[in-house]
Amino acid sequence: MYPKNHKKIVTELMDGKFITQDDPHFQILKDHKEFYVRFFDRSFGYALQSTPEYHYLLSPDTQESTSRDISIFFSVLCYELDQEGRNFMDVLNFSDLHIDEITDLFRNTTWRDQVQANKQLNSPESLRRLIHSTMVRRNIAVKLPDDRYAFTAAYKYFIDYAWELVRPDGEEEEE
Amino acid sequence: MFKSEPKSIVRFLATHFDLIRHLFDIQIHEGVITRQQVSDALSDWDSDVEDQLLEYRILTPQNDDFLISEPYFVLLEFILQQFKPLLPEEIDIYGQSIRTLFLQIREGIHLDRNILLERMDALANQIKKFTTAIRNNTTSLQHESRELKANTQNMEYEEKIRKARHLIEFYIMPLNTILDVNHSQSIYNELLHISQYVNKMRFNYENESIRRRFGKLYNLLVQSNTDISSQSAIISNELLPLIERIRTESEYLQGFHIYLTNGDCYKKYDPPALFSISRTYPYQHFVYENTKQYFEQFRHEESVYIEEAGAPEEQWIFDQEEYRQRLESQLPVDDFFSWCGSAISEDKPHFRLDEYFMITSLIFEDDYEIESHHPATNAILKSDDVQLVLPRLKIKKKHVSEKP
Repeated sequence: MYPKNHKKIVTELMDGKFITQDDPHFQILKDHKEFYVRFFDRSFGYALQSTPEYHYLLSPDTQESTSRDISIFFSVLCYELDQEGRNFMDVLNFSDLHIDEITDLFRNTTWRDQVQANKQLNSPESLRRLIHSTMVRRNIAVKLPDDRYAFTAAYKYFIDYAWELVRPDGEEEEE
Repeated sequence: MFKSEPKSIVRFLATHFDLIRHLFDIQIHEGVITRQQVSDALSDWDSDVEDQLLEYRILTPQNDDFLISEPYFVLLEFILQQFKPLLPEEIDIYGQSIRTLFLQIREGIHLDRNILLERMDALANQIKKFTTAIRNNTTSLQHESRELKANTQNMEYEEKIRKARHLIEFYIMPLNTILDVNHSQSIYNELLHISQYVNKMRFNYENESIRRRFGKLYNLLVQSNTDISSQSAIISNELLPLIERIRTESEYLQGFHIYLTNGDCYKKYDPPALFSISRTYPYQHFVYENTKQYFEQFRHEESVYIEEAGAPEEQWIFDQEEYRQRLESQLPVDDFFSWCGSAISEDKPHFRLDEYFMITSLIFEDDYEIESHHPATNAILKSDDVQLVLPRLKIKKKHVSEKP
C-alpha cells in the first residue's frame, strides 16, 4: 500500500519541485522518508534529500545552467538588497517583492558584467520568465496577485551554497 | 590641589566641550593623544587653552603624548554614554571583591562592629560599581552592535564577521556567563546568595543600627538584582541574536561576493546540484483517468436478455368446459392422471407442467367421486423434461351406480 497522495508526490518531485513545509505532502514525505528514499533510489536512481524545511530530488545528471542562473539571481538580489540597507534575510523570509523592484535591482546592480553575461538575467523579460516559469514551477518562488513574488524556504538551498564558500573547509555547522 | 575655583573648572569644561570631546574621541579610537593632535585640535578650534588643559589636569602627559585623566574620562564616558566595553576579566574583579567582602562579613559577624559596618559599606560600594559596569557594558555592546549593523566604518564583510565573532566570543558570551542565574559560579548567583543572608540578618541581628544597615544593603541588593536581571535579558534576547545575525548575514554576503567576483560564478564554481527534469514520466499524465474509465465501463453493466428470433409460439389456453365434457363422455375413468396426460397430449404434444396441472384441477369438481385403488398403485407420466409419479385414482359421476 502506497502512502497517501503517492502519485502526486512522485510527480511533483520529478517535476523538480521543492516540497516545503507549508505543503501537506511535506509531512507525508517526512513520515515515510525511508520508503521514499528507497523508492526513488531503486526505481529511478534518484536521491531524495531532506532538510527540516524542504524535500527535493537529485538526479545523477544536474541541470547546471538553471542552477547557475538561480544561484546568481539570489546572490545579486541579496547583495543589492543589502546595499539598499534592507535586511535580505527578512525580505526572503517574510516579505514579497514586485517584479519591477526586482528588475530595477538587476538593472542598477554593481554586478553588471555577471548579469549581462546571463541570458536569463540580462533583460526584464528574461528575468520575469526565470522567476515566473522556472522558479515558480520548482516552488522556489510563489506568484502573488499584482505581479508580486514571495520566496519559499527553497531559496536557502542556493544562498547556503554561497555561504559554504566562506566557511573554512571541514567546519561543521553549529547545532 | 587646584589653584582655580571648582566652578571655573566646570565652566571651562562647558565652554570648551567640543574641543575636549574631540580629544576624547581620539583617545577612544587610538588609546592616546599625540602632541601633534593636541596642537591640531587647538588650531582647529582657534583656541589657546593648552595651559588650562594641563592645569586642570584634563590632560596628563604620557611620555611625549597625552591622556585624558581618569576622572574626566569617566565623566565624559558617562555624559556621552560612550563606554568602552570592559573585558569580562575586568568585571570579574568586582565579583572577587564582592565574594571576599561577603566572606569576611560572615566570618566577623559577631566581632568588631566598626569593621563590620565598614565592610558592609565597602560591599555596597562594590555592588554599585559592579551594577554600573554591567549596565555600561551592555550599553557599549549595544552601541557597538548597532554600529556594526549599520556598518558605519564601511568594513568589508570579512572584517564584519571577524568583529562580530570577536564580540560574541570575548565579550557577550562571558558576560552572559557572569549574569547567568543557572551558572553556579556566576556573580549574579553570588548576589542572590548574599541577598538571602542579608535578608536574614536585617531581622535577626541583635544590634538595631546594624539591622538597619543590613536593611539598606538588602534594598540595594534587590535593586541591583533587578537591574542585572534586565541587563541579562537584553544580552540574551537582543544582543546575542543581533550579533549572531550580523555574523550570519555577513557570511552570506561574503559568500555572494566570492561567488560573483571576477565572474567566478561562470568559471570557477560549479553551481549546486539541481534535479534534471526528465520527460519520461513514470506515469502517463492521464493514466489515472484512463484506467478509471476502462474499469468503470464494467462496473455498472446492466443485465441483457436476448430473445431468440423465430415465429411466436401459439399460446395454449385451458378450456375447462371442453375438457369436462371430454372427461364426462369417458367416465368412469380408471386412472384419472393418465387420462389427463393423454387428453392434453392430443391437443399439445409438448405440454408444460403448469398446463398439465390445469387439467388435473378437474378432480376438484363437485360432480365426481374419487376412489383409490387397493392396493394403491402409481401411474408414471413422462413429459419432455420431467417424470411424474402419481397415484392411480378412479373417477366417476356422482350418484351413478356402476354396472357390474
